[in-house]
Amino acid sequence: MTRPADLVQGTLDLLLLKIVALEPLHAWAISQRLKLVSSDVLQVSDGSLYPALHKLEQEGWVKAEWKVTENGRRAKFYSLTRAGRRALERETAIWERLAGAISLVVRLTEV
Amino acid sequence: MFESRSVRRLFLRLRSVFRRSSVDRELDEEFEFHIEQRITFEIRRGLSPEQARAVALRAMDGIEQRKEECRDMRRVNYIADMFQDLRYAGRALHRSPGFAALAIFILALGIGANTAVFTVVNAVLLKPLSYREPDRIVTLSDSTAGKVSTAISKQISIPDFDDWRAQSSSFESMAYYNAREVAVLAGSSAEYARVAPVSSEFFRVFGVEPIVGRQFTIDETKPGTTGAVMISYAYWQSHYGGDPRALGRTVRVLGVRSIVGILPPGFRFPDDTDLWVPIAVTGAAPQSRSAQNFRAVARLKPTVSVEQAQTEMTVIARRLAQTYPASNSGRGVIVARMQDEMVGDVKASLYLLLSAVGVVLLLACANTATLLLGKATARAREVAVRSALGAGRRRIVRQLITEGLLLALIAGAAGLLLAFWGSKALVAVAPGNLPRLADARIDRWVLVFTLGVSMLTNLLCAVVPALYASHVDVSETLKQSAARPSGRSGTIRVRRALVIAEVALAALLVCTAGLVTKSFLMLTDVPLGFRPENVLVMRATMPGAPAVAFPRARQFFRDVLSEAAALPGVVATGATMAPPGSLDSTGGYLVGPLPEKPDWTRAPSVVLSIVAPGTFNALGVPLKEGRDFNDGDAAERPFVAVVNETLVRQAFPDRNAIGRMIHCPFDSFQGMTIVGVVGDVRQRGLDRDPMPECYMPYTQHAFNGVTLSVVARTTGDPNAFAESFRRLAREKSPEVPMKFTTMEQSVSQGVAAPRFRALLFGIFAGLAICLAMAGIYGVMASAVGQRSNELGIRIALGATAGSVLRRILTEGLLLTAVGLGLGLAAAVAGTRLLTSVLFRVQPTDSIVYLGVAILIGTIALAASYIPARRASRIDPLILLRQE
Repeated sequence: MTRPADLVQGTLDLLLLKIVALEPLHAWAISQRLKLVSSDVLQVSDGSLYPALHKLEQEGWVKAEWKVTENGRRAKFYSLTRAGRRALERETAIWERLAGAISLVVRLTEV
Repeated sequence: MFESRSVRRLFLRLRSVFRRSSVDRELDEEFEFHIEQRITFEIRRGLSPEQARAVALRAMDGIEQRKEECRDMRRVNYIADMFQDLRYAGRALHRSPGFAALAIFILALGIGANTAVFTVVNAVLLKPLSYREPDRIVTLSDSTAGKVSTAISKQISIPDFDDWRAQSSSFESMAYYNAREVAVLAGSSAEYARVAPVSSEFFRVFGVEPIVGRQFTIDETKPGTTGAVMISYAYWQSHYGGDPRALGRTVRVLGVRSIVGILPPGFRFPDDTDLWVPIAVTGAAPQSRSAQNFRAVARLKPTVSVEQAQTEMTVIARRLAQTYPASNSGRGVIVARMQDEMVGDVKASLYLLLSAVGVVLLLACANTATLLLGKATARAREVAVRSALGAGRRRIVRQLITEGLLLALIAGAAGLLLAFWGSKALVAVAPGNLPRLADARIDRWVLVFTLGVSMLTNLLCAVVPALYASHVDVSETLKQSAARPSGRSGTIRVRRALVIAEVALAALLVCTAGLVTKSFLMLTDVPLGFRPENVLVMRATMPGAPAVAFPRARQFFRDVLSEAAALPGVVATGATMAPPGSLDSTGGYLVGPLPEKPDWTRAPSVVLSIVAPGTFNALGVPLKEGRDFNDGDAAERPFVAVVNETLVRQAFPDRNAIGRMIHCPFDSFQGMTIVGVVGDVRQRGLDRDPMPECYMPYTQHAFNGVTLSVVARTTGDPNAFAESFRRLAREKSPEVPMKFTTMEQSVSQGVAAPRFRALLFGIFAGLAICLAMAGIYGVMASAVGQRSNELGIRIALGATAGSVLRRILTEGLLLTAVGLGLGLAAAVAGTRLLTSVLFRVQPTDSIVYLGVAILIGTIALAASYIPARRASRIDPLILLRQE
């Protein structure tokens, strides 16, 4: 199975929402952008990307439109909805609390 | 905002369902675009186009599966898949119609039997009473310490009731009533009708108002007044054709009355009452607290619970017991919800039946599960192909469960049809004392139940095979030859376990049926004390005020009896107040010369009856000593009595009763000389010991003498004589209502409940045996089929047909033995619950258990014999050629 085992459960949604929050993108571009901005640390397998996006669309957090790319191909562009923005804020807050807490724990000095 | 989001979601989902192809096209296009991008990307990194394509596809990890996941994410698949699965399931069932028909038949039997029994349970136990706020209606009944609780023992007295009412604060309204079948003359013809004398607040307790006319006025409910009657809707329709002018018409019922109101349809309380009259308590004679001849009902205040009311009434009863120790010591009050009180006696019986029929359903499920499992094994290849083509495991399980669902739903529909007839048959054979049985019909709760049972059935019988099938090892299965579907040892193990369970359940059910049937046989074996064959019973009442009616009644019965005796075919005649089985009146008795102040509260109980000369002979009650009554025992002569043997044993230690005195305050305290002793008759039902009885001549006792049952022993079918008796009675008096039955009918009604139980358990046990037999056969046949290679080799190597036959039979019997052991153990543990319905049979009756073991063993042997014989006839040559 090529599920992103290295991604903490549920963070894939957060990452995808954040990426499409910046600008509407098609799925391929989303995966490339994710790789780029995380300096190759975070990679989503091609296989698990689509079910995740379709789920976000069904939730109403992203909406999809067919547009023409710069090199003239039709592609499905995903963009954030207003509900998606609220979800993003919520998820970000949760993530920051979690990340902060984890950093606090791992930085404990041993005596 | 929120709406727009859900609207969009709904739109997406609908689009996916109804424009499936366009959605799929988009999905294809999106994936295609991705693959292209990937290929371009990889080529740019230096791979050849072929390599790039391979990498792109591998990165996707199964495009079809991914697309399926996307569809799953949209959750629309559930709906779309369901239709697809249903179509597919329909085709699958269509392809093997024999299998489908068998499975549907088995499940329909199970579901139908359950629905039929539930229909009755629903009507009798579950449906709320059809009165306003029925939960607030309670019954108040007497509970005297040390007295056996029966319908009669629960009755209450008016002085007690008046005190309850004055002292309690739990109730909004309280009423007392009783119910009788009395002679009614509406128009010109006399007939019996059920009449309920009721106290003033009776209708308020039930919250009913007349639909035509009015309630009783205060004046009409005052002591000593007569004149008003209210009638049921049914009586209004049948006797007045629903004419509103019925109001004000005259009816002769317990006096001359005019109709003041008509009650709404459906209100017939108590029992099937047609006429309600105000209870007219004569103010002159103070009522005795021992005259417990009434039943009481009340409506709780909205804020009061049954428990609170009970607490209050217990305090009041204790106070009354202190104030009136002679009559009320040890006397308590039970407050119960009317619905609970009504079904008290039959509840256990019905739940017993429901669980028995539940066991039948379990058996049907186990049976269908083995069938489906066999099917799943045979379809392993199909499943393997489908999963190779991209069907996920969950998808395959869902497909197989949908097939089960389709089976269960068709079976449910067929079961409903069976239940429609079955519940009618049940109502027809059910004992008449089941309350509200007439309401039994298939309503929406029954439909919900059937649907629920069908779903449960599906879950029970389809899930295990489905999970099994989904574990199919794709490459292994595809490699095996298509001609010989492999049986996996796993499914055979599960099927064996299922067969063991089937045998166990069947054994449990057959044991129960055996015990119940034996108990019924024991009951019918009890000596009745009389001969019920060929005895016609004609109940007749002389209407009118007692003072006028009694002399007329005496004349009427004397004439009818003397002329009836002369009818051809009539062997003997008599008349009695209480024919055997219809206990009417009990009281206390004392023997010998009475002391100065007799203590009647300590008098032992006796069944009282008044009879005409010749009655014992007509009924076949043996005269043991002395003489029967005769025409010489006239009103002005000294009082005489005939007693039964139980009374003699109880009252006269020297067994010498003839010529002694007995006192029963029936209608006079005057002593009676015992002139005869007769055999015991079981008055209170076959399962109770006989009580002391005292018979008095009808010529000497006016009280209750206006209603007697004429009994006539005939040479042929007694029903054939009813018409000549009717004509004879009409000749003597056109005002006398009559009702005919036979002694055999009333005896049979007395054992109706045990017969009903025995019959139903017998049917269920029969079904269980058939299902278990089919299960054993199925598993043995498929075991033989799968082992035909092994068996063929054995035969080729010199095993005789006999040894193969024995081998297979042993295997079948082994399965049966394990199941039988489990089932009998469960029966020993479970049938203890039956103790209350069993008569002279222990729940661990060894003969029944032995019988069950032999029966099920024989059936298992028969079921395994056919596959075993097939196994012993395997021709190794043909088998080897097939390889």
